[in-house]
Amino acid sequence: MEDEEMEKKVQQYLQRKGFRLTELALQEERNRLSTSANSDVALARSDNDPARYHDGYSRLRTWAYSSLDQYKHELLRVLYPVFIHIFMDLVAEGHMQEARSFFHTFREDHEVMHSRDLQKLEGVLSPSHLEEMELARSFRKNKFKIKLCEYSYELLLQYLQKTQALVVLGVINEHITFEVSAGQPSLISDDADVVALIGTSKDLAKQINQKEVHWGLLEDSVEERMEKALAESDKIEAESKDADAEDNKKRNAEGGKQGASLKKAKKDKLVGATGKNVRTETSMVSVAPRVKPELTLPATPVEVEQSILEDLRNRAQLSSVALPSVSFYTFVNTHNGLNCSSISHDGSLVVGGFSDSSVKVWDMSKIGQPAKMSSSQSENGSSQGERISTLDEGKRTYTLFQGHSGPVYSAAFSPFGDFLLSSSSDSTIRLWSTKLNANLVCYKGHNYPVWDVQFSPVGHYFASASHDRTARIWSMDKIQPLRIMAGHLSDVDCVQWHVNCNYIATGSSDKTVRLWDVQTGECIRMFIGHRSMVLSLAMSPDGRYMASGDEDGTIMIWDLSTGRCVSPLLGHSSCVWTLAFSCEGALLASGSADCTVKLWDVASSTKTLKTEDVKGSSANRLRLLKALPTKSTPVYSLRFSRRNLLFASGALSLSSS
Amino acid sequence: MSIVPKETIEVIAQSVGIPSLGADVAVALAPDVEYRLREIMQESIKCMRHAKRTVLTVDDVDSALGLRNVEPVYGFASGDPLRFKRAVGHKDLFYLDDREVDFKEIIEAPLPKAPLDTSVVAHWLAIEGVQPAIPENPAIDAIVPPTENKRSEHGKDDGLPVDVKLPVKHVLSKELQMYFDKIAELTMSRSDTSLFKEALVSLAKDSGLHPLVPYFSYFIADEVTRSLGDLPVLFALMRVVQSLLRNPHIHIEPYLHQLMPSMITCIVAKRLGHRLSDNHWELRDFSANLVASVCRRFGHVYHNLQNRLTKTLIHAFLDPAKSLTQHYGAVQGISALGPSAIRLLLLPNLVTYMQLLEPELQLEKQKNEMKRKEAWCVYGALLCAAGKCLYDRLKLFPGLLSPSTRPLLRSNKRVLTNNPNKRKSSTNLSATQPPLKKMATDATANSMASASMGGNMQGAMDGFWNQLANPGVMQVSSSGQMESIPSAAIRRDQGSDLAQRVSAVLRQAWKEDQDTGHLLGSLYEVFGEAIFSFVQPPEISLFV
Repeated sequence: MEDEEMEKKVQQYLQRKGFRLTELALQEERNRLSTSANSDVALARSDNDPARYHDGYSRLRTWAYSSLDQYKHELLRVLYPVFIHIFMDLVAEGHMQEARSFFHTFREDHEVMHSRDLQKLEGVLSPSHLEEMELARSFRKNKFKIKLCEYSYELLLQYLQKTQALVVLGVINEHITFEVSAGQPSLISDDADVVALIGTSKDLAKQINQKEVHWGLLEDSVEERMEKALAESDKIEAESKDADAEDNKKRNAEGGKQGASLKKAKKDKLVGATGKNVRTETSMVSVAPRVKPELTLPATPVEVEQSILEDLRNRAQLSSVALPSVSFYTFVNTHNGLNCSSISHDGSLVVGGFSDSSVKVWDMSKIGQPAKMSSSQSENGSSQGERISTLDEGKRTYTLFQGHSGPVYSAAFSPFGDFLLSSSSDSTIRLWSTKLNANLVCYKGHNYPVWDVQFSPVGHYFASASHDRTARIWSMDKIQPLRIMAGHLSDVDCVQWHVNCNYIATGSSDKTVRLWDVQTGECIRMFIGHRSMVLSLAMSPDGRYMASGDEDGTIMIWDLSTGRCVSPLLGHSSCVWTLAFSCEGALLASGSADCTVKLWDVASSTKTLKTEDVKGSSANRLRLLKALPTKSTPVYSLRFSRRNLLFASGALSLSSS
Repeated sequence: MSIVPKETIEVIAQSVGIPSLGADVAVALAPDVEYRLREIMQESIKCMRHAKRTVLTVDDVDSALGLRNVEPVYGFASGDPLRFKRAVGHKDLFYLDDREVDFKEIIEAPLPKAPLDTSVVAHWLAIEGVQPAIPENPAIDAIVPPTENKRSEHGKDDGLPVDVKLPVKHVLSKELQMYFDKIAELTMSRSDTSLFKEALVSLAKDSGLHPLVPYFSYFIADEVTRSLGDLPVLFALMRVVQSLLRNPHIHIEPYLHQLMPSMITCIVAKRLGHRLSDNHWELRDFSANLVASVCRRFGHVYHNLQNRLTKTLIHAFLDPAKSLTQHYGAVQGISALGPSAIRLLLLPNLVTYMQLLEPELQLEKQKNEMKRKEAWCVYGALLCAAGKCLYDRLKLFPGLLSPSTRPLLRSNKRVLTNNPNKRKSSTNLSATQPPLKKMATDATANSMASASMGGNMQGAMDGFWNQLANPGVMQVSSSGQMESIPSAAIRRDQGSDLAQRVSAVLRQAWKEDQDTGHLLGSLYEVFGEAIFSFVQPPEISLFV
């Protein structure tokens, strides 16, 4: 009786003081005592069995990795101290064999952050070593401090309590102190010393980023042939005026300070200069290394190639002084149902994916005439009745594709506009023909909603990103995926092809962007820096840079070869839904939920990079050239046509009415 | 500690038919419930993002539940964002307003219109980086000041300051031209249609109309001078002006100088409309308010704006050669500018003017009914203005009424005691009515008493007074006039010294510290009983 009373009092005391861990330990010990009284055998087994250490740790690990995204990185911090102490416990108890196997099973997790410590600890082979070794002693003596937010701490306690993970609980009790802070969890990128997510630790990223990336353009592409032809025709001219061009180039490179005034003063001269400058720029692009395709690429039909060449010849040269024209396609009467939209490469087709699982395609070249007619009629004084009747005459202005059984989250046109892919929450991807207006293939492979699907720059292949944390590579003629890219710790939200088709980039809810080798399926780059879910990606046409936009409105430009952020672009106040590089890579356009299209100067950044080469990111390297607000339309997708006309689309959303 | 307390679990348990849940069960369930909630929230936010929205909807939660293999929650589906209402008395408790709907109502209700089908419209968001000012684009922030300092900097850099401004050629897009033509046509010929109303709304709201403002101001100025005889057109033009003034995207200041003369014309022109039946009074009132609103909005930018306006108005008012309609317009114009303008400009001249006006008011002296009508209109406007001013004074300084005014009010008492019985009955009747209305009924009662005196005039007056915008106040004034005629007659008998005293007081009216009692008294002398309708009951009680 006395004992029980005493225990109660102790418990009350602990409760009052908030010593929750101690309280838990007490309870568990009591349970253990009572069970051990009942079955001595079980106790003996469980007490001596070194396997329970292994089990306990691996269960904790699995649990931490499958916890909520927001709190995951904090919970993962607990793993390292637990790992070390379990190992030392095993050694101390003399289970050498088990200790070693335990160490080798899980050392990978911590290799990156703590390789030094691990190397030292690896040498610990007997209990006596523990005494001798400085490091081990200091681990034993001192307690680890781990910062957690309130809720992460609570989650951890719940887990320990529920699973009766005695071993782990013991270790945590003995060797870890928690600093619990109220409010939101800290940001990954804020702590330098956290283990964080397995991949997201900066060192691992560094290690991964050591791998080679051939970011060059494809050999023998249409563009290259075009340039060759151009170069030949211009050769004589270029040679004669070489010095002049050089001069202009230099002056331009010296930058905006004097540049602007010069440009105003000598405008006509400058027009010529920019022309030449751009020429040199494009030749600079062509200087970009050429790589062989790793995939067998489909052949381009001749007439398509002709039209592309035609487009290239008529391409408007864009730069910081020559901004593009923007044509905006506004979806009206969507009733909040439009999930995504996409525009074909020539801007003539627009597709919308709807939450009622329909896909609708508008042919803007055809829609032009009847729309004009109706508008002129209404302006001539006819009332609404007539407008409706014209609508009735034309019936539907779009082609309706039905087949999905869940909200459509993404749609993409093939480079030549003859095929259309759509992905849906029914976990399938469907291929449609815009010529036949019919569904051709349904690709089943993902187990969860497919968030994004993108055609490769040459067509035929496509990549998908899904809630099942994988990205997959497909080809149009096979219903099974060719590659599965696994490694992201949360949903893969967006995917984008590299221009040379050898790589894909994926953006994820785990706040990282990764670059994958299509041939091997390996992750070869990891880009850390975003503070929230990555929503959009774009590759520069020279293949060297990548832009990514996130939920907070931050856009980052990454250098693919170094894996570093060239510059963060701050300006949007809400989700960046879409990004697009202009065709010669001078401008980056971004579209956001804050109802603006913004144009950023990329050309200046690459030039300064050339001259200064290795210098960290400076804030003003990429500047905002222009913000184009829409009336009340969030921008869902952007597309530079081959002639450098910018197309944008979005659904009109009137918030107040 | 956790967001979900165990009491919540108990409540939920009860709601699903488990009356008594073990305390430890609730404690164990609560954290798990919270975890599941957070999980669902995380997933539904993902779904929301992929549907490219920034507002969470029921569908997102449903699809998140679907992802976790949980049956969706039925019965909340809604295309629009949910409207939560705050529970009374709780700071952070919200609920969805869930109305009970009668089946019968739904069945009998006419079928709703089919929602419009989705369509795509294209427009130019930018042309070579510059946003065209079309209605599809948002308004450009009211003309960005030219970057002159930048230019001068460049000049320094260059050593050759090139600052030659070429004449800007104004290019108007075809759409805008059509828009302008349409508006002009509507204004000129079909201002009574509902389409014109829509056009006004468009004028008041659309961005991208700025390029048209010079054309509109020219059009208005031109048409006002040309169609002084056509009242509907003038009215429509003034409405266009009003809409333009209201449009937040238009930078109208540079064009005010063109618009103001037209507006003032519509206030003080001698003749507006060519028919006798034309109700030009309303137009004058409307324009007066319009001009006053302009003064209020831009007065601080252009200091002489109001000065010039008042000069024009007072000139029209004080010139006896001008017609009564012009006087009316001037009075309305001044009175729209506010009580201080009335005090400063109207009151000092009131007595003199009344002497001018009085003969016009009386049946015996002015045989032309039209003229008499006009005179009464002016009288009403003056009364209104004076009353407004008085009301304002009383509101500002309620304590200013001093008992020293008592002696002046002998006649008042006399009038009031004329009909004590009727007064009582009407007071009973109007017990629940607002004070002003009450006064109105009182006054009506009074006028009934003197109806035999007013006689035939009553009928004639009612006819046109009813057309005026504010029947409540006008009723008062009209009935007040009935009263004042006899009393004015009496007053004149009493001698001219009183008149002089009154005019002296009124001349002092602009002074801030002027005794309001004196003012009231003097105004009573001029207008008689009617002026009391502008005084609130507590002050009235001082006199009665």
